[in-house]
Amino acid sequence: MVSPTLAQPEAGPRPAQPEPRLTYQPNVDVCDCGAEVLIVADIPGATADGIDVSFEDGVLSLHAKVPARELPGRPVRQEYGVGDYRRSFRLGDDFDASRITADARHGVLTIHVPRRAAVLPRKVEVRAG
Amino acid sequence: MQTSRPGFAHPFDELRDELDRLWGTLAAAPPLHGWGTQPSATAFPAVNVRETDDAVIVEAELPGLDPAGLDIAITGDELVLKGARPGISAEQPPAGDGERKPGVTWHRRERGTGNFERRLTLPVAVDSARVEARLVHGVLTVTCPKAPEAQPHKVQVRST
Repeated sequence: MVSPTLAQPEAGPRPAQPEPRLTYQPNVDVCDCGAEVLIVADIPGATADGIDVSFEDGVLSLHAKVPARELPGRPVRQEYGVGDYRRSFRLGDDFDASRITADARHGVLTIHVPRRAAVLPRKVEVRAG
Repeated sequence: MQTSRPGFAHPFDELRDELDRLWGTLAAAPPLHGWGTQPSATAFPAVNVRETDDAVIVEAELPGLDPAGLDIAITGDELVLKGARPGISAEQPPAGDGERKPGVTWHRRERGTGNFERRLTLPVAVDSARVEARLVHGVLTVTCPKAPEAQPHKVQVRST
């Protein structure tokens, strides 16, 4: 009786099981710059058309889809996973949603969230006389 | 967490404020070994390496870097990734309201900036003259064809 392992030799290293895709929180820099809040997020591998930025009930949310990048060959070293990016920020209601801008370049997403003009301090002219 | 009532400072609030100040100064300090504000990464950048029969492929995430700021060198079986990532400095807030003095407050500073250098030993010697690198959407892919002596060599078995 031939043992199954002899009859069916392995054709090389067993292929790695595909890793389940996780969702990651991107690293961010958040600056309150007075007239606006600036959010800069690292989203390598995401393309502009896969990015969704929304502002609702004072919360700014970002969701960047990252297409799978399957490298050929067998894994030698695996230090990070590839997946979509999601993060939300509670900013409050002082912001003008219609003037929010976002742009993506070199895998970095920059979001400008301007404050509503009505909440910014206004300089009052004092007339003499 | 209980918020302090006016006129009464809860000791934990003071402790929390002290810790916030401490972390704040640490985050603003110059990077210790190139990427000080990334506590999770022991080496930057993190890499994924794969091997095919005729090449070694190294992938790294380097958002915010343009190709001019990146230096890749190969010697034998060692790959060196070197570069610098510029940051957004607090001194030049991007949208200043001219009327109002910009009071810039950084609430998060998680994206490290500064110089980095990573040395990687590849599984085999590669042909440095034929190495190709691409940086797309902040993802670097370096394809290193194996040196001829490192490629699998078919051996003819003679019957006599």
